[in-house]
Amino acid sequence: MRHFLRIFLSRPIPLAGLAIFAVIVALALLAPLLFARGPFIIVGMPLLPPGAPGLLAGSDVLGRDMAVGLAYGARISLLVGITSTLGAVGIGVLLGAVAGYYGGWLDDLLMRVTEFFQIIPNFVLLMVLVAFLQPSLSSTVIGIALVTWPQVARVVRGEFLSLRGREFVQAARTLGMRDGAIIFTQILPNALPPIIVVGSMMVGSAILTESALSFLGLSDPNLLSWGSMIGGSRSAMWVAWWTTVLPGLAIMITVLALNFIGDGLNDALNPRRRR
Amino acid sequence: MEPLIAIQDLVVALPPGADRAHAVDRVSLTINPNEILCILGESGSGKSLTAHAVMGLLPRGVSASSGHIRFGGTDLLALPPSGLRKLRGRDIAMIFQDPMAALNPVITIGRQITEQIRAHRTLPQKEALALAAGLLAEMGLKDPKALLKSFPHQLSGGQRQRVMIAMALSLSPKLLIADEPTTALDVTTQAQILKLIKRIQAEREMSVLLITHDFGVVADMADSVAVMRYGRVVESGATNDVLGNPSHDYTRALIAAVPRGESRLPPPAEGQPLVQVKGLTKRFSRGGFFSRAPAIVALDDISLSLSRGETLGVVGESGSGKSTLARCVIRLLDPDAGEVLLEEADIAHMRRSALRPLRRRIQMVFQDPFSSLNPRQTVGDILIAGPKAYGEDLKEARRRAADMLSLVGLSPQCLNRLPHEFSGGQRQRIGLARALMLKPEVLIADEPVSALDVTVQAKVLKLLDDVRRQMNLAMLFITHDMRVAAEICHRVMVMRHGRIVEQGPTKDVFAAPSSDYTKALLAAIPGRQAR
Repeated sequence: MRHFLRIFLSRPIPLAGLAIFAVIVALALLAPLLFARGPFIIVGMPLLPPGAPGLLAGSDVLGRDMAVGLAYGARISLLVGITSTLGAVGIGVLLGAVAGYYGGWLDDLLMRVTEFFQIIPNFVLLMVLVAFLQPSLSSTVIGIALVTWPQVARVVRGEFLSLRGREFVQAARTLGMRDGAIIFTQILPNALPPIIVVGSMMVGSAILTESALSFLGLSDPNLLSWGSMIGGSRSAMWVAWWTTVLPGLAIMITVLALNFIGDGLNDALNPRRRR
Repeated sequence: MEPLIAIQDLVVALPPGADRAHAVDRVSLTINPNEILCILGESGSGKSLTAHAVMGLLPRGVSASSGHIRFGGTDLLALPPSGLRKLRGRDIAMIFQDPMAALNPVITIGRQITEQIRAHRTLPQKEALALAAGLLAEMGLKDPKALLKSFPHQLSGGQRQRVMIAMALSLSPKLLIADEPTTALDVTTQAQILKLIKRIQAEREMSVLLITHDFGVVADMADSVAVMRYGRVVESGATNDVLGNPSHDYTRALIAAVPRGESRLPPPAEGQPLVQVKGLTKRFSRGGFFSRAPAIVALDDISLSLSRGETLGVVGESGSGKSTLARCVIRLLDPDAGEVLLEEADIAHMRRSALRPLRRRIQMVFQDPFSSLNPRQTVGDILIAGPKAYGEDLKEARRRAADMLSLVGLSPQCLNRLPHEFSGGQRQRIGLARALMLKPEVLIADEPVSALDVTVQAKVLKLLDDVRRQMNLAMLFITHDMRVAAEICHRVMVMRHGRIVEQGPTKDVFAAPSSDYTKALLAAIPGRQAR
């Protein structure tokens, strides 16, 4: 663990990613305290540029404070990104572990199901799902989790396939350990590093996906997210650049920070890169 | 005589944080023309790095910090990479331990050989191919024309190593460096390859630098020998002097640790068999869902019996089915036919739930000390995993784990450490302790010492024998090494292609083998004639 931290923290890029991500998380957590009135209150004239009195980031087409919107948007983006990834990792680990550990027809069956999800265009499936379930925060989270778990399942299955043949796993079987105990206490801890790496990257892409859905209007209308900010302001794109560019930058920086962290985790957790 | 190559005070520094400062510490060696020099040492002795330094093939982060390697008037260490590249392959060639890893899997044998020739000589591909075919024939390979068109995976291990040697010899080098060239091969193949290297060396009057950990190989091959330990040459000289009259304690210890290949243990009195295997058969089907290739018969009608306090050795080369047998007896694999009786219970066909309480009576020690322990669990957790699986009291199990560590010769303080902090021999001890935690009656040892250095090997074998006696275990000992089998087994069973070729008391099988195959195996033991 100490070794891992030393590698992770000794490189500038993951460290920068971590710092940016920490600022965004802090902003998201503190938003209700800093801006108690919420993001939907109209505070002035529409389309005031950044730096106008009292408006750090200007105002949007309806005269709402962009800075407040960005802070509240971070809450939605992070919430969706993290919960949908947790969901996808949960499904992926379970199915991948079972497929990789047992092999045989069960593996064939589960992998065909996985492929079924992989060959359907993800975003189209997601749009159908969300539209079908009524656009809301939970339907977005469920939808994203349902279309992204296959990549986790693939990674986990591969790890389990190679680890189940290792002698310490055979030893566990000869000791009389039950399959569940072998999967969760023997193999899974050894398969964690790639899962963590994939997971950290998936948070970023889930945020992107959520933004795209909100841009198209397929999100909870009572919640402001970065994607819906861009979507709502696209008519003003040519006259007030900040209404679309600022939330776009917020998405870009967050995803970039997460990818930096993912890269750092990959370097630090990959045993081949050690020493 | 002017030496062909002279290594003077070579120092190879290790990166900071390694377990010692120098991998190779002031090593001086000379190789004369038309001579085989063996560098003998255990793992970590610096023998491979010395050879790699000659080729300029030191791994990243490791470099020769001082010394000279003189070769025909030039100092190889002072040579720029381009100069070294001209020498490599043409004047100095190298073969490696694992020919499968050393050959490119997606390029034909013919192209791999001609590529090397044409890197140094301008020669049309056709002539280069003819040259390659000639070389393959010289290596004793049949049908060289067809071989040139095949890929590495289509050849056997022995054939691949012959191809490697052909490739190394393609430009008639003055020096051939062979880094453990037979370690990955079966004994009978090993004997053939060693014979080949010796023949080629004599015919071409070249020099060979042979890296090995095996005293038998030294006795068979070397004109002179250098023994290395901790990066230093502890003793060197003519082979007969060093082997016959070693002056250094370490050399003596090494020689003493080499199993002599003579049986020591008399067969025990006939007891009631604890394990009986009857007509065990196992097939592996090949091909996937759509294709059905003929199945490979890994075990063909195997029967054996094993009593308490007795060690039965199962000897065979790779692919003989010996590991499959071990895994069927402990039911890691499901056999297709036959019975495995533990007293009255048939383990082979029992339902999983019924089998679980019986599992603890049969335990196993595995081959690879690096993969047999979960890298993320402490030694303590590894040892109590068994008792935990049977719902035993964990406090009591922890206490017993400490005792068990002392029994296998480790300090009880090791309980909180992780496997990577231990050496290979120590890990095998931990693996044995794990198996013994369940107080088994049968112990299956699958090549438990094949990954270990000879001196460590001797200690682990002694430990296994002591434990067998103390706990009155029935032990099934799988090995490819006849010498090791002789050391520890009361009876041996020789397997080939999934069948039993011969079995009997170790003494009898070694003294008067009845089958040709056993005779060949015994004859292939390196250094046997030398004694």
